Amino acid sequence: MNMKKLLFAIALAFFALTGYQAFAQEPEISPERKQAIDSLALEKVRDLSKYIKLIGAKTTPWSEANRVIDRAEELFAPDAEIGVSSLAKTTVDYYKVRQYLERLMRLNYDRVEIDWYKIQYVSDLQRQPNGTYVGVITIFQTFKGYDAEGKLVYQDTTKKDITVYVKRKETQIGGRLISFWDVLLGDMRVKETTLK
Amino acid sequence: MRFLRIILPIVLLALCFKVEAQLMDERELYAMTKQMGQFIHRFNYEEDTYGKRIYQDDADFRSAEKRKTSLPLLFDLNSPRTNGALRDYFVEDVTKKNNQFFEFLGGNWFSEVSAKFKWKGKDVDISLIMSIEQEGLGSKWVISNVFFSEFQKYFPQGELAEREKHFLHPMSHELDFMNIYKVFTDPQIVEYYASTDYTPDYLTLFFYEIKRGNLKFDHVEKVKFHVFQINNWYFEVSWFDRSGYNSGWLISNLVYIKEEEKDLLLKLYQPKK
Repeated sequence: MNMKKLLFAIALAFFALTGYQAFAQEPEISPERKQAIDSLALEKVRDLSKYIKLIGAKTTPWSEANRVIDRAEELFAPDAEIGVSSLAKTTVDYYKVRQYLERLMRLNYDRVEIDWYKIQYVSDLQRQPNGTYVGVITIFQTFKGYDAEGKLVYQDTTKKDITVYVKRKETQIGGRLISFWDVLLGDMRVKETTLK
Repeated sequence: MRFLRIILPIVLLALCFKVEAQLMDERELYAMTKQMGQFIHRFNYEEDTYGKRIYQDDADFRSAEKRKTSLPLLFDLNSPRTNGALRDYFVEDVTKKNNQFFEFLGGNWFSEVSAKFKWKGKDVDISLIMSIEQEGLGSKWVISNVFFSEFQKYFPQGELAEREKHFLHPMSHELDFMNIYKVFTDPQIVEYYASTDYTPDYLTLFFYEIKRGNLKFDHVEKVKFHVFQINNWYFEVSWFDRSGYNSGWLISNLVYIKEEEKDLLLKLYQPKK
């Protein structure tokens, strides 16, 4: 984690911590706190996008790609699954996170281009019966696969709907009980769209 | 005039984004109603046409004027069913007193999940009706009913005159119900001997078949939503995967229906309520 990201994470955690007392008496997350949590969640999604790009790139050495898969896997809840469908096939193929990323690493193209649209949509956070908040972030990705002659042989645009779990956790620091918001990614639905 | 009212915001939306080489598609993605939650925000004008959230302290929050121009964009503009005078009446009605909003936890909206199952080895289509239920500290989606033609055909409505012919007379008990065998003579009409209030519980049948191993889930084909929350209206929201500025979750059907008539319809979606 670079310095800028570390400071950003500390600032967000501080915002979440200072707001904790107020939150304890409120049934709902205030818009300000929601924005701070959205930023945390978006940071994770951006990390995932960056990792996917690295894993897919043929220039990334195999050992490095494996390390990146480890990092990417840490973003997700342990039981998270990826559900993939295409325009040609509405049935959903389910993958474990690691399996999905390893599949991406092993794609048989000589060169791939993975790009992300700047647009993303962050849903409201809804509370589950157990109190954990859940939301969905939607992002769009374009994928292009080229053969050895540099010819574009495959391309698609996918809509990725990523579940985000937000949970208040507590930890002991220097004998003091500190609360913070923990964000974990959950199931991801990957759906091909006609938009190119 | 109506045409202008619909087209103008789309054109403005298109012009408002910077024209860059690759961003042509991005403007379409901005316009797309990407999640059902976004549909709700746009419906209530808690989000503007550029995707910016409008919070409670903002002057435009749930603005009736803004809703008059943004609501028509939430309809499938390619279908005459959702692109005519009825839609205009709906927009006028919803914004008239500006007290009609779509609430996530407001009840009376359902998801219809059309899924493929294997039933006794053959592929069948089953629609699961889902509703949001509050529980514990939050809420969850639950299955509130199921539509499966194989179940439905076992319980035809039947002619009233025919139904009225089949009953056990009120003194049957004195004869140790010796006539009860008649109930089971024709299995196709066994339910005629149940209470007049009786309605088959398809959900229990569905669970039973799953437990017996006769029904096996395969995959989800399609998802859509049925909304009964707005007074005197029902609308359906479907996913439109297409290019242009009218895509994503959009209103695909709209019906004017009196509140008193809704109860009967709601029973199909949530029989136990």
